[in-house]
Amino acid sequence: MKTVEKVVNPVRRAGEQSPGKIYSEKLKVRSRREWRGVKDTLYDYTRWLYLMSVLGRFILVPRNVKGFFRYRWMMSYLFVPHGMDKFTIGLRDEALRIAHTSFNFVIADVTQAIANCFRGDRRVGNDVAYSDSCVITDENSMVTFMMGFDKEKVHTILREVPTMFASNIFHQFNVMHYLDVAQLNGIPGDVCPMPEAEAGISIDDDFCVLGCCAVQNNTTCDGSLMGNGIIAKRLEREYGIPTFQLATPLRHKEPDVMDYAAEEIKKAIAFVEAHTGEKWNWDIYFQAAKRVNDATRCRIAQMEINSTPYPQFFGAAFSLYNDTNYMGNSGRDPQFVKVDHKLLELAERGYKAKRMYAKEYRHRAIVWGVQPQYNIDMLYWLVQCWGVMPLTDMLSVINTDMIAEEDTPENREQAYRDMAMLNMEMIMRNHTHGGYKVLLDDLWELCEKMNADIAIMWEHMSCKALTGLHGMFEEQARERGIHIMWVSHDLCDPRVFTRQAIRDQVNKYMRTVMREEPLDPSLEELPDNEAW
Amino acid sequence: MLKKLAKIPLILLGIALGFFVITFTIYMFNLDMKATSLLAPWLEKWYNHLDRKQYL
Amino acid sequence: MRDLKHLQYFEDLLQQANNALVAQAKADGKVCVAYTCENVPEPLLNLDRAVSIRLTAPHTGSLDIATYYMTALLCEPSRALLERAIEGGFSFADCVITPDGCTMMNRAVENMELLQTMGKDNPHFFHEYMEIAFKNSENDVNLAVLQCKNHILTPLQENYGIDVSDASIRKAVEDHNRLCRLIRAIGDFRKEEKPRITGYEFHVLCLASYVCPKYLILEKLEETLEELKTREPDERSYRARVLLVGSEVDDSGLVKLIEECGAFVCCDRFCFGSYPGRTEILLKDDEDALTQVCRHYVQNCQCPRMMNQEKVYSRKQYVADLAKEYCADGIIYEQVKFCDPWAYERMLGASMLQNDFGYPVLSVDRPYNIASSSGQMRTRVQAFVESIEIKKLQRGGKA
Repeated sequence: MKTVEKVVNPVRRAGEQSPGKIYSEKLKVRSRREWRGVKDTLYDYTRWLYLMSVLGRFILVPRNVKGFFRYRWMMSYLFVPHGMDKFTIGLRDEALRIAHTSFNFVIADVTQAIANCFRGDRRVGNDVAYSDSCVITDENSMVTFMMGFDKEKVHTILREVPTMFASNIFHQFNVMHYLDVAQLNGIPGDVCPMPEAEAGISIDDDFCVLGCCAVQNNTTCDGSLMGNGIIAKRLEREYGIPTFQLATPLRHKEPDVMDYAAEEIKKAIAFVEAHTGEKWNWDIYFQAAKRVNDATRCRIAQMEINSTPYPQFFGAAFSLYNDTNYMGNSGRDPQFVKVDHKLLELAERGYKAKRMYAKEYRHRAIVWGVQPQYNIDMLYWLVQCWGVMPLTDMLSVINTDMIAEEDTPENREQAYRDMAMLNMEMIMRNHTHGGYKVLLDDLWELCEKMNADIAIMWEHMSCKALTGLHGMFEEQARERGIHIMWVSHDLCDPRVFTRQAIRDQVNKYMRTVMREEPLDPSLEELPDNEAW
Repeated sequence: MLKKLAKIPLILLGIALGFFVITFTIYMFNLDMKATSLLAPWLEKWYNHLDRKQYL
Repeated sequence: MRDLKHLQYFEDLLQQANNALVAQAKADGKVCVAYTCENVPEPLLNLDRAVSIRLTAPHTGSLDIATYYMTALLCEPSRALLERAIEGGFSFADCVITPDGCTMMNRAVENMELLQTMGKDNPHFFHEYMEIAFKNSENDVNLAVLQCKNHILTPLQENYGIDVSDASIRKAVEDHNRLCRLIRAIGDFRKEEKPRITGYEFHVLCLASYVCPKYLILEKLEETLEELKTREPDERSYRARVLLVGSEVDDSGLVKLIEECGAFVCCDRFCFGSYPGRTEILLKDDEDALTQVCRHYVQNCQCPRMMNQEKVYSRKQYVADLAKEYCADGIIYEQVKFCDPWAYERMLGASMLQNDFGYPVLSVDRPYNIASSSGQMRTRVQAFVESIEIKKLQRGGKA
């Protein structure tokens, strides 16, 4: 089997050595916050203050209070500071700053998204003029088709992000109610719980109702495609919000789907123009395209840093930021550029200082598959508990090609193809669909390129695209001498696999197959199954 | 008057210090999340009692 | 009723994928084009010397090996096909053409390719994967045309020298239409108050039309149609007429079980059923045949993965129209376990057909091979039939 050279951290970590001790069995939160040494604790404290100020400013608006008491999913946002604690376990120095910079930006973005939803929501803010300028899109959708609209005039509302996707990260039990609603109404329990929960929210009438139109997408899987039909029915028939289904080919590596995909983008743009009354602006588009390319360059640089013995980008906070930037933003907001460069600067500083975030790195891993929403902080745990450094996760392995960014007549036609390419290569589906090569071969290539000896396979039980190649992963990993560690979960339903049940799969593998002892035994078993 | 003005920085420093002591205590002992934990069951009940138009 | 003369013959053909007629077609020098999804335009797989054979796995038992490769969470049809492929049950195939329609079936075929389950001794053997339409627009027609050219016509021509000309396509459509007319004519007897054919018998004939080379069964289907014209129906009437909607039904035992419970399966609207699969393709002379065939498939497709809302609603209207035409008392929405598209379609369809169209609906999931849990299904269907009878009584009708 392949082995990698162990890297030992010559520097003792400041402050707390066993962060597992601050977990509490009695409480649903930790007994106290982690002591990270004076400098990093004070930094963490200021970031906590910032988060509190973001949440405080949000709740000072009366319509937001009204929304808070109307929508069940809003409860999750009470636990944002707890979420921050999850994402910074054991972190110091640059990694702590990278986690805070990315996470705080995502929180500010999600908070703004909720505020926007409430502003236009017919039940809460009922700002009709604002609502009429809003276009609703899916949670898992690229918003490339909005890149050429003035974002001050046409507002893109990713309605499912705050409602389902983000809220589940902060409150692991949050979507259980919606899953129950969906299943009570006849959806089986074996489909992917994410689109099922979204359908459940729609059935439970717990989505904000706003927008002059909606654009849906066959984003990641059969489940998400099918769930959209249920959501669109209510949007159209009950609330009179017309929906457009943006079809995105699955075999995205085949050139013979490109014309179709580009034509669909044109139709989506025409649909938005017709319903908002706003015109597509090429200047705005190409400015956004420049920002998309800039983000791509940053991402390539990040991957290079992580290919070295001293990776700096890891964990959920960073990958959530990446998701938000790539899909939810798609170059539309200039603020992301600053954050991108700040993150890269921090990482370069950490790399030059050979900064490490555990006592030692014993293994280098590629994390493949879809991570559990309710245990999304597990990548930090892997580093701290077992010295397994996750170099990248599947959702962060996205487009590295540049798109046309100069406004010329040829590039205007090319732009539709670029948007279509980005749309087809949206997060998750760029690997789970498009033939087995993008799922299997891409993993082995990454293992080679980033010098990984372990492939950690998130086996999301209901992700049929991934589990459909289970045996081939096993066989091909054996042929290549790569350790393959299966970690099953059910994406956003903690009743099927609890957090500890997920960790136990790693614990067992590390003890029985690798015959290793944990770096930090205080983390091996954590009493957080009932925690938020 | 000058004496009064000279006290202002001290007052501000005192306020800042008080703010720091209180908020840092809340932060360090996770009092914010502990308080929220107490609120959660009540909120659950609230959301459960709301009428919903469950409809496909 | 007296047994249909050729029923046993057709039943025998359904006992294995590599049946006697497939062997005969191979002996006749035909090119066996295996496929797995109704969305692939069937006439294009029957050009010139090519014959289409839909892959099925009758009498599926253990799925151990396929479950290792695909886990127990993928739908049973996809695992059953992979298991059968690994066992060598599809060795007759000269190529496999599959669309990236439902993920699970696509993965099943990808596993077949990676495991080299077919075509080891055939240098011309190929696997092709197609993108298929998502909506019923002209853009989707264009996509279908290009996909059919690149993934059906060109590979067939290059590997096996199949004539893929316009004339060849028109000839294949003509043959296809002949089969469709026969199946539909046979199926029309199900409209009668005292039907001359059972749902089970019809299902056997219809399924055979997908899994056998068509040119070898036409004669017997024609004889069966003639026989039905004079067949005396049973005097006893059924307790309820039901329309069966959902995932593919490769096991005629399911239809038999439903009919043993006192229901009559008066119409079929499932993958590889007669609706919409056996609808004639009407060709005009002023447009190339390929485009017209593709347009037919895009426009008539009733697959749940067609995603535009117009299609979402019209699928339910289509079911309601069939229920009306075939005088169904109720509708059974069935879904093979773990099938995502039909899981959602079953839920929405059951709700809309019940609430918007007023039909009693039974919504069930089921295994691929009904023998593995026939008791549960029997109980559900019996209860459904009784509930229909009670409703009829409440309306003052005859039970």
